[in-house]
Amino acid sequence: MATPSPGPTRRGVLGFSAAAALGIVPDTARAAPDGQITIASHVSLAPTWFDPAETAGIITPFMMLYALHDAMMKAMPGKPMAPCLAEAWTVASDGLSYAFTLRKGVLFHNGEPVTADDVKFSLERYRGASAKTLKERVACVDVHDAERLTIRLNVPWPDFLTFYASATGAGWIVPRKHVQQVREDGHKKAPVGAGPYKFVSFNPGVELVCEAFEGYWRKPPAIKRLVFKVVPDEATRLAALQRGEIDIAYSIRGELADELTRTPGLSVKAAVGSATFWLYFADQWDALSPWHDQRVRLATGLAIDHKTINQALTLGHSHLTNSVFPENFDFYWQPPAPVHDPARARKLLAEAGHPRGFEAGDYYCDASYANIGEVVINNLREVGIRMKLRPLERAAFFKAYAEKKLKNVVQGASGAFGNAATRAEAFVVKGGTYVHGSYPDIDAAFVQQAAETDRAKREAILHRLQQLVHDKAIFAPIWQQAFISGVGPRVGESGFGLIEGFPYTAPYEDLTLKGKA
Amino acid sequence: MKQYILRRIGYSLLSLFLLSLTIFLFVRVTGDPVALLTEPGASQEDIEAMHRQFGLDQPLWVQYWHFVASFITGDFGQSFYYRTPVLDLYFQRLPNSLLLAAVAMVLSLVIGIPSGILAAVRVDGFWDSAGKLFALLGLSLPQFWVGLVLILVFSVSLGWLPSSGSGTVWHLLMPAFTLGWYFAAAHMRLTRSSMLEVLGSEYIKLARLKGLPEALVIGKHALKNALIPVITLAGINLVVMINVAVIVETVFAWPGIGRLLYEGVTFRDFPVVQAVVVIGGSMIILVNLLIDILYALIDPRIRLES
Repeated sequence: MATPSPGPTRRGVLGFSAAAALGIVPDTARAAPDGQITIASHVSLAPTWFDPAETAGIITPFMMLYALHDAMMKAMPGKPMAPCLAEAWTVASDGLSYAFTLRKGVLFHNGEPVTADDVKFSLERYRGASAKTLKERVACVDVHDAERLTIRLNVPWPDFLTFYASATGAGWIVPRKHVQQVREDGHKKAPVGAGPYKFVSFNPGVELVCEAFEGYWRKPPAIKRLVFKVVPDEATRLAALQRGEIDIAYSIRGELADELTRTPGLSVKAAVGSATFWLYFADQWDALSPWHDQRVRLATGLAIDHKTINQALTLGHSHLTNSVFPENFDFYWQPPAPVHDPARARKLLAEAGHPRGFEAGDYYCDASYANIGEVVINNLREVGIRMKLRPLERAAFFKAYAEKKLKNVVQGASGAFGNAATRAEAFVVKGGTYVHGSYPDIDAAFVQQAAETDRAKREAILHRLQQLVHDKAIFAPIWQQAFISGVGPRVGESGFGLIEGFPYTAPYEDLTLKGKA
Repeated sequence: MKQYILRRIGYSLLSLFLLSLTIFLFVRVTGDPVALLTEPGASQEDIEAMHRQFGLDQPLWVQYWHFVASFITGDFGQSFYYRTPVLDLYFQRLPNSLLLAAVAMVLSLVIGIPSGILAAVRVDGFWDSAGKLFALLGLSLPQFWVGLVLILVFSVSLGWLPSSGSGTVWHLLMPAFTLGWYFAAAHMRLTRSSMLEVLGSEYIKLARLKGLPEALVIGKHALKNALIPVITLAGINLVVMINVAVIVETVFAWPGIGRLLYEGVTFRDFPVVQAVVVIGGSMIILVNLLIDILYALIDPRIRLES
């Protein structure tokens, strides 16, 4: 039996109304685009981000994809997987095929219609992160006509849509004819997509200029021009925002964010993405290590003053969590709230044979987040866990983490897309890239869920898996980090926080200027 | 003379080889660029595929050979990050760097030379002390601090100048001053010491004994000779300003080569870093070579001693 899609194939009227409320149906009654919004980016924009085929497994390229391109389905306000270019889809009961129906009348920026052929081309052309995984598991794509196609898998893969729609750029559609005509280089230099904004010009490392695509199927954007300026220095971004040179400044942290709150007319926008931070007890499988004792690990978690750290570093906007799994992920299990209880931490340490605390070794972290480490180490010292901070340059840190060269305690983090299963695969279960050791019951649960096609049963298994991770105190979670940005006085709707788990402003067609909405 | 020039060219080529080898090895010591281009949690297969794509799976000597070959052919390869030819990126940024460097150089000379002369002429007096203080501040104040203070004062508080970017003459003022001040201080110090040396020489004493006006002695006879090392230094400084104004260009979001280098280092974009360093280094080596040849032409003792 096929599983119906969330598209408007059933309960037509109700579905249409709900979709309209979410803003995912065409809105043709809007005024012509007008004005300009200038966004100062904290990172240099890479042309690879203009091409869905090259999307790496990081969230930053989606900052561009949401402007220039459109996907079969994607995260939208109120919906983690809203139908976009695909109007509807069904999953075969054996989980081996996904049938899609495309939205009618959708055009690329060059006027060509979006067809099933383009969808097939885009999937087959995809070569970004997870390309190998997708290619191994996707058997073929059958195009039935211009608007219908079926993606067939080699084996049932419950996470297929997660990978296709959100974790990769494979489901973001480019025009086959155009790409083949201008070739890969030409497409990167002047990309054509089906998104709300058309590419106008790009000066690498300097700025990207986009112009509203009035034929965008969902609704014409309210803003005529979007300019992304690269301003690498955080203080300069803030100064530019204060002076009104830009309208949105990405990534303003700590003291500068505080300054932002004190500046009249400017507002702070905090978007909590999928980046969770935690302490990983790398030696917990070594019977001779103090970290082998679960009470010591629990004491560490109790020693962390989550609230104060959050207030000091992200103005209280990060979400305090007791899990390494982001709360916006599919199959998330809600653990008990984190508790800061130094007295109980000391009691647990005493029970574990450390009444006066102990020399706990090294605390490794990515140097760019050493500020978190400094505070946590102070918290730990208060209960007697004495550690030395070992900040490593980001890439060196993750390399050493992946190669299992780090000992004692590792301050880990990940903002990778996915769901609870993909996060567990990388950080919890045997064989994972960043897994120093594992527990048989958790490994068994992971294998079990991977073969389970019934969603409810799979969810139950993944919940159990997360509970085991929590109970065993494999990690001491810190927070799900907020990404803080500044918004200038001209902006009406900034788009921050509309899409859950997305740190940047989006969807761009929803952005408005005050008085011009 | 011919032998002298050939020897200097040989030294220059050796310097270039050592420079290329050093930067090639140095960037690789910083770590794996793929680690910065993938999210933590990326599969080993994806990481390896990216290594293959960038040729980082090849032995070091093969990678070095590709780098040298690309340099000889004037190609420099593709940027890992921007996925565009490095030379295109370099030439896109070059006009901005030339403009900034030219204005900063003019500022540094206009400020540095007169203040150096004044300090030398009024040695141990008020102007000398003021010049020394100016030079001390110029050389010791960090450029990022100077830049941020200028932004706070002239952009945020007074609202007179744009905080960042490029496009108008107003955009140019603060970065040019920040960059120029450091070099003005260096030029001032060298002008002062050079002038003091020249002012103590016999021909200046003779000029004064002959009753030439002081302005003529200083402005014509002393300055002409005192400026030779200053101009030499300015030539090399100009190359440095063009290629490695990293901090100034980053703070002011000025789209020049210094920022390209910063981006290259940040993203471990080996081809970009290698190209900027080798091109900048080649310019300095070339300027030095030309200076050596010119000195030898002017002063026969140099070529004979060599």
